[in-house]
Amino acid sequence: MKATDPQTTNTNLFAEIELTRNQGVQVGEAAETIARIAQEVAEGSESQTRLLEAAASLSNEMTASMSESTRQLDSIAAFVEEIVSSVNESSASIEEVNGNTATLASDLAEIVTAVEENARSIGSVTATTHGMATSAEEVNGAMTEIAASIKNVSQETSSLTDSVNETAASMEEVVRATESLAGNADDLNVSAEQASSSINEMAASIEEVSVITESLNSNVETVSSSIEEISRSIQSVAQNAENISGAATSAVSAASQMDRSLRSVAGISKRAEDVTKRLTREAEEGGSAAQKSIQSLSRVRTAMELSAGVIREMGKRSDEIGGIVNTINVISERTNMLSLNASIEAARAGDAGRGFAVVAEEIRNLADRAAQATSDIAAIIRSLQEVAREAISASSEGLRVADEGGQIAEEGSRALQRILSGVHETADFMSQVARSTDENLVASQSVVGAIDTVAAQSKQVAYATVEQAKTAQSIVKGAGQMSKTAREVSQAMYEQGTAAREIVKAAQNTTAIATQVRRSSKEQAVAAKQVAQAVESMRRVAINTSRALDEQARASEQVSSESTSLARQIASVSKAMSEQSVSISQVAATTKKMGRLSEQIARGMSEQSRASRDTTTSIDSISKDVRTISRSNREHLDYSGQVLKAITDIRNVTMQNAVNAQSLTSGAQGLTERARSLAELMFSVETVQQSGNQSNGNAIKGSRKRVRKAGNSEEA
Amino acid sequence: MPQATGTESFILFEIAGTTYAVRSSVVQQVQMIEHVTPVPNAIPVVEGVVHARGRVIPALNLRVRFGFPKVPFDLRSRLVVINSGGRLVGLVVDTAREFVFIPDTSIEVPPDGLSKLSGKYLDGIATIKERLILILNIEQVIDVSGLEDMAAELPS
Repeated sequence: MKATDPQTTNTNLFAEIELTRNQGVQVGEAAETIARIAQEVAEGSESQTRLLEAAASLSNEMTASMSESTRQLDSIAAFVEEIVSSVNESSASIEEVNGNTATLASDLAEIVTAVEENARSIGSVTATTHGMATSAEEVNGAMTEIAASIKNVSQETSSLTDSVNETAASMEEVVRATESLAGNADDLNVSAEQASSSINEMAASIEEVSVITESLNSNVETVSSSIEEISRSIQSVAQNAENISGAATSAVSAASQMDRSLRSVAGISKRAEDVTKRLTREAEEGGSAAQKSIQSLSRVRTAMELSAGVIREMGKRSDEIGGIVNTINVISERTNMLSLNASIEAARAGDAGRGFAVVAEEIRNLADRAAQATSDIAAIIRSLQEVAREAISASSEGLRVADEGGQIAEEGSRALQRILSGVHETADFMSQVARSTDENLVASQSVVGAIDTVAAQSKQVAYATVEQAKTAQSIVKGAGQMSKTAREVSQAMYEQGTAAREIVKAAQNTTAIATQVRRSSKEQAVAAKQVAQAVESMRRVAINTSRALDEQARASEQVSSESTSLARQIASVSKAMSEQSVSISQVAATTKKMGRLSEQIARGMSEQSRASRDTTTSIDSISKDVRTISRSNREHLDYSGQVLKAITDIRNVTMQNAVNAQSLTSGAQGLTERARSLAELMFSVETVQQSGNQSNGNAIKGSRKRVRKAGNSEEA
Repeated sequence: MPQATGTESFILFEIAGTTYAVRSSVVQQVQMIEHVTPVPNAIPVVEGVVHARGRVIPALNLRVRFGFPKVPFDLRSRLVVINSGGRLVGLVVDTAREFVFIPDTSIEVPPDGLSKLSGKYLDGIATIKERLILILNIEQVIDVSGLEDMAAELPS
């Protein structure tokens, strides 16, 4: 039972070291998980809401548990040191055992030589001592017992050797594992440093992202305010579009009224054109009539002038006639006078003059008639002259009137010409107006159509604008949510930065711990090598012991057989019995010595056992601690799972945010650039994190490979 | 014209629209008034002197004599030359162009109602074909001896 303790101790040690290695791997996995979580946290950093706060609290808890595990690792390191000291103690005791065993071996060699001597003396004694038969049998029994005990010792020693061999192999494995652990610890250290640097970069990029997120936040607020302005302007646009719609509707009615009025204008202008044409015709006729009247007036003037001349001539003639009539009147007066005188003379002549008196009477009558006629003629000529004068004045008046008429007619003609040209222009204008009105009509019809279209479109625009306003309001809401989200993201990024700084601190602590682990592992490796060397020497000693014990056993068997033959020969050995007795006493003394040595061994072994028990308790506490660590790590894993879940939720939120951002992107292209820059930055963050993870993963893979290689070399 | 008993021939002349008659037996001749030469210091009734068949005779303006305004001469104006007892006097009348026979029966005594001066100049009043003809007492007419007195008596 004493030999069982170191084996168990070594096994437990190995298990503890394995567990420690697993723990290192788990720590690496946890670091990987932390890296993944950090990566996922980094991926989910586009838009995180209160879930990130939960993640932050979970990360804090994780950090707390990690610090707990760190403390526990410290205690592990202390316990490992205790283990090392215990192992040293055990090694010392084992060396003690070894030395005792070597002494035992030399004593046993002495025993062998003594036994040989005994045998020789027995050979010499065999023939002589029969009386020693009983004692020989006793010796034989004792020897058998010794042989049995030796066999037992041999078996125990062989099992001890096996155990030592196993211990040696285990120690070698421990050494190799410790070396690989040291290497892994180096790798872990390197990886931890790489992770630390990566986490530093990540923290830096997270701070960068935080800054960008703050600027994004401000941009989002600016965009939000801009979108609110856009929303307001869209609402005013909607009102304006409604106004436009109303205006377009009234414009439609106005345009139809315009169309009707244009049609009536077109009809009126057509009629006006006809009237203008008729007017033109009549004006032309009037112009020609005026020309004709002018010509007639000039002819009238000529005729008037002619008639005035004629009348003047006639007046002159009537003057001449007046003169002639005067002459005739004078002649008739004179004739009257003469006939009167003749009548007087005839009366004076009496009867003789009676005939003459008749003639005179006749002449006087003729003269009276002539005078009457001439007075009539004179009256006629006077009236004629009066008429002629009147005719002359009338004709000169007529001339003047004809001149005036001519002038008036010419003026009228000119006016008519002007009227004609005006009428022509009016006709041109009217035809232009008619053409323009036709064109206007066509244009107004197209305008009516266009205004109808405008009205419809403006209605659609109004409808669309209302929709747009609604969309803008929802965008405003979304932008407000986005702003809130961005602020929360900013806050989360800030907390993430804090968490990252804490992670950096933790990673630095991890690095320090890893360094400590490495140092401890190296020390452990050195101690393990020493243990291995000790075990090797112990093994060799054990092998020698075993071999010696085998030989001892064989010798014991030979001794047994020979003591059997001795028993048979005891009678003949009697002579040598005394020597034998001496030898036996020597053997007894030696055996006593051996017993003392065995007691010493037992003591050392009990010390060893105590040390092993101490080691066992230490390792039990180590295992307890390690269980605690594993529990903590399980909690870590649970927290990591919760963190993962939270981060998945965050990712879902992020995807929803991405959907929101896509819907927002369609609304706001300015946001897209920010989002793109953010995405690029996140990509860079991801790249950094991936590079960190790759380095971590590679380190872990490398460590795994090294472990596998170590296992292969062990197998080999 | 039958020479009936109590029938005398008369020369008719007109002054201011009234027809006067004078017996043709006292009428030397009738002539046109061509030129009347005014006589200095003559009474207004005396127009002047004229030539009558080689003799210079006075010409009396009967308009003035009968108290009518003077009128200028014309073609119808006549100078009736009266031979009264060998004395030739020309009477300026408006016109004289008829030679008529008036029976005595047609002549009536001027009515009593006429003034003594007018009655003195009239021998009677004859009505021929409803024409009223004043027959002059030519001696009274041409007697201008008391005309200076008359002229002195009469207002001018």
